[in-house]
Amino acid sequence: MNSISFGRYVNYDSFVHKLDARSKILFLICLMIMIFMPFSVWSTSLIFSLIYFVLLIVLMIMSHCSFLSFLKGILSMWFLFLFLIIIFIFVPNPNMSSVLLYQFSDNYAIYWDGVYQAGYIFLRLILMMSLTLILTATTKPLDLTYALEWYMTPLKIINFPVHTIAMMISIALRFIPTFLDEAQRIMKAQASRGVDFSRGGLFKKMKAVISLIIPLFISAFEKSQQLSDAMEARGYDPNSKRSKYRKLKFHLKDLFSAIFVFTLVGFIMYLSIAHGNIDVIDFVFGVKVGF
Amino acid sequence: MNAISVKNLTYEYEENIKAIDNISFDIPVGSFVSIIGKNGSGKSTLAKLLDGLLIAKSGEIKIFDLILNNKNIKAIRNKIGIVFQNPDNQFISTTVEDDIAFGLENRNIDSNKMQEIVIDFAKKVNMDKYLNKEPSNLSGGQKQRVAIAGVLALNCDIIILDEATSMLDPKGKEEIRQLIVKMKQENPSLTILSITHDIEEAYLSDYIIILENGKIIKQGKHKDIFSNLDELKKLGFETPFFITVKQELLKHGYDFSDCENINDLVEKLCQLM
Repeated sequence: MNSISFGRYVNYDSFVHKLDARSKILFLICLMIMIFMPFSVWSTSLIFSLIYFVLLIVLMIMSHCSFLSFLKGILSMWFLFLFLIIIFIFVPNPNMSSVLLYQFSDNYAIYWDGVYQAGYIFLRLILMMSLTLILTATTKPLDLTYALEWYMTPLKIINFPVHTIAMMISIALRFIPTFLDEAQRIMKAQASRGVDFSRGGLFKKMKAVISLIIPLFISAFEKSQQLSDAMEARGYDPNSKRSKYRKLKFHLKDLFSAIFVFTLVGFIMYLSIAHGNIDVIDFVFGVKVGF
Repeated sequence: MNAISVKNLTYEYEENIKAIDNISFDIPVGSFVSIIGKNGSGKSTLAKLLDGLLIAKSGEIKIFDLILNNKNIKAIRNKIGIVFQNPDNQFISTTVEDDIAFGLENRNIDSNKMQEIVIDFAKKVNMDKYLNKEPSNLSGGQKQRVAIAGVLALNCDIIILDEATSMLDPKGKEEIRQLIVKMKQENPSLTILSITHDIEEAYLSDYIIILENGKIIKQGKHKDIFSNLDELKKLGFETPFFITVKQELLKHGYDFSDCENINDLVEKLCQLM
């Protein structure tokens, strides 16, 4: 299993890696729609979320990605989740039944609905982020760019600069690690001159960050000038006809995956729209669970 | 026939501050020329002028039989390939193979032929094992080798190396020097213009042009330039390592004046031992 550095491509020869980037983007959108299909009974939503989780783990095993390192990356954004959980617990949905869980004072109380909503949103967010991470971990940035360009092709009719946008995205992706290295270098250089990025009040920290941002911007402008020279010298002209080294190709495995994903998403959508108030536990075990 | 012909070229970044000041020179097809000079002497400006990245204030640049102007710029760029100083800032794509293919894509080369060309030129610069690697996983020397492969793949007649080794460590520098020698051996009709302040690199060339404050202060064949070491020193350049070794050996009674390069010298020394 490969550990994942957050949001970066991991070179591996798995089934998911071999899928066409365009298929993967389409599947991601479909699966996200599936995750957000609502069920009015909380236990049903929870059971479906658990099923999605099992599917996610299967997908991770197929992509040769480690769930733990995914979780580590996602949990590094704990402050976002904490914020959402607090909001949902203390501001419950007024349309839902409100069974009291704990009363702090006359004005503040926690309701079961709030806890359920917070948990449900937390699960959906983790699922959504994990799926996006699987996409970026299994697809080369350049293939992603080509796939996006392919999806934007119809916009060429209205003279939208599809190729230029795709090239900009590709260069931005290429330069992320370079700028991270550059930022590290500048931080070390400034720290050696006595700038402290970790201590001090807000004003002091802002001042320290300025000493990082200004040289970083200067370096970025220099790099962009040199890069444009290098591109021009190698004959790049956005308005000329260019061939493509990489050609995206749909394979049989894309077709089989599409059949599976569309069937699954279609089934969940049908359940959500036609039987949105289904109580799965009652339906399967004949037991009513509620609060 | 001249590959590059420059006549009375002048360029100013700001009014009345001449980066290039009325220079003229000819570079015959198949020659290996070094343009040397200190920082700010106008070397890199000259490289950009030759490729049309900067427009001269006055003078004429002729590449083979084409005069550099807006009409001919595309045809001229098809003949010239430039390798720039900073290996990071000229790596355009996200992997080695995509970067070598970038220029070929711009020339609208058929996709089916492209892979063969990419692999072939990656092999020539010993980067065929790194085709899928990202630039962040490569050393400076490896990135420059990729840049050279990208230029060679375009089948250019002239290669300009604009301080291509100045940001590399000694190992990286040596890799690129060896690659230049190999390129020349494989394709004698290739014209190489090396813009450098590294005297060791200039020592490999057939002809040397020395620039100072945008003016040519001396030019001549390899032999002429390196036979007058005192003058070279006065101009601010060190004696090349190979000559220093020969001089030291001569002081100890060993005459190796007939050796033309370091390999010859090592071989003869080994025979002596």
